[in-house]
Amino acid sequence: MRYEFRVTGRLSPAVAESFPELEPVPAGEETVLTGSVTDEAHLYGLLNRFQDLGLQLLELRRLHG
Amino acid sequence: MPRRTAVAADSGGQRAPEQDPAPGGGPGIAATPAGDPLLAAKFEIPPAPRTLVRRRRLADRLDGCAGAPLTLVTGPAGAGKTTLVATWAATASSPGPVVWLTTEQEENGPGPFWAYVIGAFRHCGVPLPDVPPPATGDGVGHATLVRLAWALTRLPRPVVLVLDGLEQLTDRRITDGLDFVLGHAAGRLRLVVTSRVEPLLPLHRYRTQGLIEEIRGADLAFTGVEARRLLERHGLKPSEQSTTALVERTQGWAAGLRLCALAMRRSDDPEGFARSFAASRQAVADYLLAEVLRAHPAPTQELLLRTSILDRITPSLADELTGRSDASRILTSLAHANSLVEPTRDGLGYDCHPLFAAVLRAHLRIRHPGLEPELHRRAARWYAEHGGSTRALRHAGAAGDWGHAAGLVVDRLAVGRLLTGGNDDRLVRLFDAMPDEFPAPAAALVAAACSLARHDRPGCRARLARAQALFDAAADPPSAAARAEHALLRLLSGDAAQTPETSAARTSGLLDRVPAHLLAEHPEAESLRLLGLAVRLLGEDRTDEAEAAFRDAAASCTAPVTDGLRRECLARLALTESLRGDLRRAEEHALRANAADGAHRTPARRGAAALAMAVLATERADFADARRHLHPACEEEAVRLDPCLAAESAVVRSRLGLHDGSPQQALAVLDAATGDGRAGPSLERYPRRTLERLAIARSAAHLARCDHEQALSALDVAEPSDGAVAVALARAHCAAGDPARARRLLAAAGRHGTGPAGHVRSRLVLARAALLAGDRAAADGWVAQALETARPELLRLPFVEEGPWLRRLLERRTDLARSHGWLSPERDGTDGAGSVPAPAEPLTGRERDVLRCASRMLSTAEIADELGLSANTVKTHLRSIFRKLSVSRRGEAVRRAVRLGVL
Repeated sequence: MRYEFRVTGRLSPAVAESFPELEPVPAGEETVLTGSVTDEAHLYGLLNRFQDLGLQLLELRRLHG
Repeated sequence: MPRRTAVAADSGGQRAPEQDPAPGGGPGIAATPAGDPLLAAKFEIPPAPRTLVRRRRLADRLDGCAGAPLTLVTGPAGAGKTTLVATWAATASSPGPVVWLTTEQEENGPGPFWAYVIGAFRHCGVPLPDVPPPATGDGVGHATLVRLAWALTRLPRPVVLVLDGLEQLTDRRITDGLDFVLGHAAGRLRLVVTSRVEPLLPLHRYRTQGLIEEIRGADLAFTGVEARRLLERHGLKPSEQSTTALVERTQGWAAGLRLCALAMRRSDDPEGFARSFAASRQAVADYLLAEVLRAHPAPTQELLLRTSILDRITPSLADELTGRSDASRILTSLAHANSLVEPTRDGLGYDCHPLFAAVLRAHLRIRHPGLEPELHRRAARWYAEHGGSTRALRHAGAAGDWGHAAGLVVDRLAVGRLLTGGNDDRLVRLFDAMPDEFPAPAAALVAAACSLARHDRPGCRARLARAQALFDAAADPPSAAARAEHALLRLLSGDAAQTPETSAARTSGLLDRVPAHLLAEHPEAESLRLLGLAVRLLGEDRTDEAEAAFRDAAASCTAPVTDGLRRECLARLALTESLRGDLRRAEEHALRANAADGAHRTPARRGAAALAMAVLATERADFADARRHLHPACEEEAVRLDPCLAAESAVVRSRLGLHDGSPQQALAVLDAATGDGRAGPSLERYPRRTLERLAIARSAAHLARCDHEQALSALDVAEPSDGAVAVALARAHCAAGDPARARRLLAAAGRHGTGPAGHVRSRLVLARAALLAGDRAAADGWVAQALETARPELLRLPFVEEGPWLRRLLERRTDLARSHGWLSPERDGTDGAGSVPAPAEPLTGRERDVLRCASRMLSTAEIADELGLSANTVKTHLRSIFRKLSVSRRGEAVRRAVRLGVL
């Protein structure tokens, strides 16, 4: 399952490196992280990690195809 | 007590005197069910930061919440939830005493959670007479919550319970319990919860009933005025313009504003900083923390980065991680400047906000790639030396230092905890990441225990052999604990190279050499030894000895940590008794194994208990009931991978197949179970008696399709272990029309199987043989004897299994049929949940409490005592239960309730 996460702000290499499974792409004042998510446990784990690092999640969606 | 010092250091070095576990509490409350001392630090209201900005609008709202039983403070990390509630609680403008509990993941189970809640009440001097500390390992008896709620209703004024950080507790049983207590405390409990996420409480109901006040993230956000005061508290004099810009950029996020203040204070040009931050497009915490970090000298940066792997910073551990000796000075000055770390209340360590620590760790990985594991390794060693075993384990695992992690478990005789299930499953999970072939003897021993926890006995034996080889090759001899654990695991893994007695005696001898304090801390070691012996005896067909051993093992399980083991012992006892036809005893043991429910959900120990119920129901020809219990039992690996249990579950399924009128299905089940004489995936050999049980079931299936040849050849067993096979053979010969041979067989067998089951079945064969020989009177006599033996046990299956001849005999002898009305079950035995009439009126919560007590065989007086009711009230409840379940006795009520899933 591929997912796309949109968070506020650009990410420093240090913080981006905390999500090795996601590819960050800056988009204006936001960052879009895309990558494959193994299962629901992984998904919730990612959401927790965003929160741990003070990243504000704006949008989350599953990519089809 | 080493355990105590262990946890003492966990909370940051030497324990201060006021940190003694459970001050003000009785001796009974000083520990969680798992035996860990309660950490008094969790009961302390966190100190306010010196830069605190009092926010009246929020404090007023907390005051104003006095009417609502539940106040929920939610917001993201760093939103200031804890600070808000802590300052409010400390100023005590609340209507009653404030009881504080900082929740952590370690309490994510009803047992530890309620132990801490009750401890917190006691810590604050809230009188809770008659509320016992939770008694079971992982769960909490409903009675405890009932008593807690009742005790709360007796308080002269409401008490406020603050649960800080409830997002850590994801176990639904905890929130269910909270909901119950809150709903039954008659307004004497106000719950204030802080959480990053909405708790699992039925918030919708609270909202519609107006029982909840909520302070959400948006409420917590700093206003311009508040932000300005915060900056001023940090000695800054920001312009109107930059304050507005900062609030806008951080959206009033407390942690962000605090980082702003720190960065601005270190900056030569605070206004310039505010401008560039406002213009930057970086994520807030990311940007700010990098700025704050950069503003500090190199040694401070190093210390902050390296200690970010800790959940609590102590100066000497920080020195250990930096390789320097200036941690104490740096930490003091950081704390003094209110920069990133806060001193803990006991003054012995420092906390770094988890949010800051997470970002610092991200920076650590970039600046020192690969250093993180090394830091964890050093932290693990430091904690091990300073007695912090839990943290040592956690860090050793994070470092991949598995030899050390395993050693911490093995040398403390804690390997048994990997097998007791419940709370301690987290130990098994901790070692999930350990590579299988990790070259350390202790690691091999832990891997063996983990295999056993997954019911992989051959895998366990292989790892034990590896452990032995590694022990032999090691320079140092293994510790006494390691040797004893090796022997224990060998016994439990069913190593056939030793007899059960030798293996158990060897383990016992080695346990004797283990230091006494370790034995006292780990009562599960001895219980596991007794259970291991019993299972081995069963595997060697020494049923009577096994039964006695299960009894001993069950009796040894008195500590909460052995709850799951006791469940298993009782279930195994019930199984052996069921097979013998001792159904009354089996029922008592099976009910006890299934009672104390809601407590242990450990798969390993629940499967056997469910199976025991299924086997019991089958012997009573209550097939709907058997099916209901069988289903959960078959789901369990513990049942599927244990030869004896797997075989019994197959026998039950084959009986159900016959009941459904499908001998083919019954045979297919038995074929699948038997294979080549090995039990399913575990590839272990069946004990002989188990093979015979399968053969007898197979013969019965062939008889059901009138295939006498096959029914006889199925029983082609060399040297049968007891009379059961002979009786089955005789039955097959009878069916094949050879009563003389049947009678000879029974006479030669001498003992016709043990217990009521053997007695009843052999009498029925004799009856049929007599009928075939034309001797009706003799046949009637044998059947009457069989019925008399079977009646007290309600042993119906042998009668149900017989063909039309028995039905005709009973039609002829109406007197026999009449005096044995028990023979036709209350229901016709048809399946499907629909055949069990649901109670017309549901039981109330209190009625269920009473029934639960009744299922534990408590007397009326004991139930009254347990629930804090009068005996007359208990009787009233019982009468109401009987009416609702349409029964007339307690035993029936319990049975019916179990069947209906009410209990």
